[in-house]
Amino acid sequence: MKHTPLIRLERVSKHYILENGDRYPALTDITLTIGQGEFAAIMGPSGSGKSTLMHILGALDTASSGCQFFRDRDISAYSPNQLAEIRNRDIGFVFQSFNLLPRTSVLKNVERPMVYGGIEKNERRQRALEMLALMKIADKAESMSNRLSGGQVQRVAIARALVMDPAIILADEPTGNLDTKTAHEIMEFIKELNKKGKTIVVITHEEDIARYAHRQIRLLDGRVVSDTHT
Amino acid sequence: MEYRELFLSAIATLRSNLVRTVLTMLGIIIGTSAVILIASIGASSIAFITRELSQFGTNYFQIAPGANFMAAFGGGSGEPLTIEDSDAIRDAQIPNIETVAPIGFASRPVSANDVNKTYLVYGLTPEAQVMLKPTILYGRDIADEDEGSKVIVLGIDVSEDLFGNDTDPVGAAVTIDDAKYRVIGVTKSSGSFMGGFFNSAVIVPLNIMMREIRGDEELTEIDISVTDTEILDETMEEVTQFLRVRRNIKDGDENDFTLTSFKESLGIIETVTGLLTALIAGVSAISLVVGGVGVMNIMLVSVAERTREIGLLKSIGARDEDILAQFLIESVVITVSGGMIGIFLGISGSLLIATVAGLPRVVSFPWIVIAVVISTLVGVVFGLYPARRASRLSPIDALRHE
Repeated sequence: MKHTPLIRLERVSKHYILENGDRYPALTDITLTIGQGEFAAIMGPSGSGKSTLMHILGALDTASSGCQFFRDRDISAYSPNQLAEIRNRDIGFVFQSFNLLPRTSVLKNVERPMVYGGIEKNERRQRALEMLALMKIADKAESMSNRLSGGQVQRVAIARALVMDPAIILADEPTGNLDTKTAHEIMEFIKELNKKGKTIVVITHEEDIARYAHRQIRLLDGRVVSDTHT
Repeated sequence: MEYRELFLSAIATLRSNLVRTVLTMLGIIIGTSAVILIASIGASSIAFITRELSQFGTNYFQIAPGANFMAAFGGGSGEPLTIEDSDAIRDAQIPNIETVAPIGFASRPVSANDVNKTYLVYGLTPEAQVMLKPTILYGRDIADEDEGSKVIVLGIDVSEDLFGNDTDPVGAAVTIDDAKYRVIGVTKSSGSFMGGFFNSAVIVPLNIMMREIRGDEELTEIDISVTDTEILDETMEEVTQFLRVRRNIKDGDENDFTLTSFKESLGIIETVTGLLTALIAGVSAISLVVGGVGVMNIMLVSVAERTREIGLLKSIGARDEDILAQFLIESVVITVSGGMIGIFLGISGSLLIATVAGLPRVVSFPWIVIAVVISTLVGVVFGLYPARRASRLSPIDALRHE
């Protein structure tokens, strides 16, 4: 199946300058395309560069060299605020931990991206409630975020990631803190989203989580070592 | 980004750490309430002094012996003023002069009915009584025919001290320096400041004062009232020239007497009190700045603690200015709420003190405005550095923060 490119990296490298002045290459010469509607898993041991790759895919970071395209636009030289706008409109993040704002209700958490997106109050509320219903957690809308279980937090996080109707969901070890049963529930949700056409990229080091995806990209020492479709 | 949402979010954040928020506000609360309290009490004091002094009228000035400013308050020295000086001024027919009242006073023990207390004894002529306008409770005032007689008018407080409350002492005798004086009246002056002064003083005829009590011819002061206050300064100048000639003061030499008008004294007192108030209120305003440093400190701690939160907000699309506004609003909410509480406490405190001390209840509105402006500025100025620091965090550094 041929997908329209959504995110394209061309010979992207990323290095960090360490405290002693040495360059640490986190990613080397990555050329990669994520197509619309794809469900990809990025895998690799810790230190392989998968988090750095996700940050670049998610416009949280820019490459040291090479080009990064989002919907055919070269965003390599975008300003922090331009990148913020892409993150707000086109990318939904789900993290392993610290996903929700503390001291804030579930509803307010889900509404927050829409606040930055300039969406009007009533519509914010309505859309947030719809997403929470979709994630089957509408009954917790008024609960404080710190009162939720791990699985509930991830469902709220997915609801928030979806609320701006982004082009892609980037999930960084979304099941890393969950028990096996809850982890698979969450992955089923994600799989359903992909069936409805949402582009998904999941970062994981667990094979059985990666099997939910249709494409497995394996990294080692900052390079892509395999890229397979199933 | 909607400021309403930011504001609500700031309130929620500050409420979630209430103890810290209140402690941070405390510096601002103390600073603001101190400024308001001091400025209001200063304004009360000025209003009080003005009210008390204006009872004596502004159509009035006094001459005291001696060249210095303190002469106006009885601390002068030098060539004495005499009854002849006073008579000469009266006889000179200087325009605008209404009354010339020579006054001598001394502090003496006064006794009656086995009670012995020290009071100020005033030697006055009927002219002075015209100026003081006391209310006569019993008997009558000093009159022309009393000259040379050992008669005495008691202030109400003295009468109550010596003869008890609600007692008419007219006809009774009091003793000053082993001499007996017959009470001819009891007077009460209004006002609690200068009026109260005469309530706890006694009055005898001036020539008795000089001959029997002081044993000299020196006046303490000469009080002069005028008909037209508008030309008070000109009249004072004429009196000055008249006295210079009379007392043979050469051109270029300083006066050996001092003229002071109530208007002038009032002005001096108002200026001094106003300056002191502004000074102390200004010093208190510095404590607001110290409070601001406390706010900055806590906001820096808050930014450090919430680094991952900032990363999360940036990942969902918060721009730098959204983060800046969020932290700035938090610090301004702290300082403005602290300022409001401080203003409330300052006003309540100053009204309470004024009530207890019997001062006019005056609230200093200019200083309230100053306090509001300063506390808002403190919030912005001291919140800006932590907020900029928060807004400039890179999203991944913030997300990776442990």
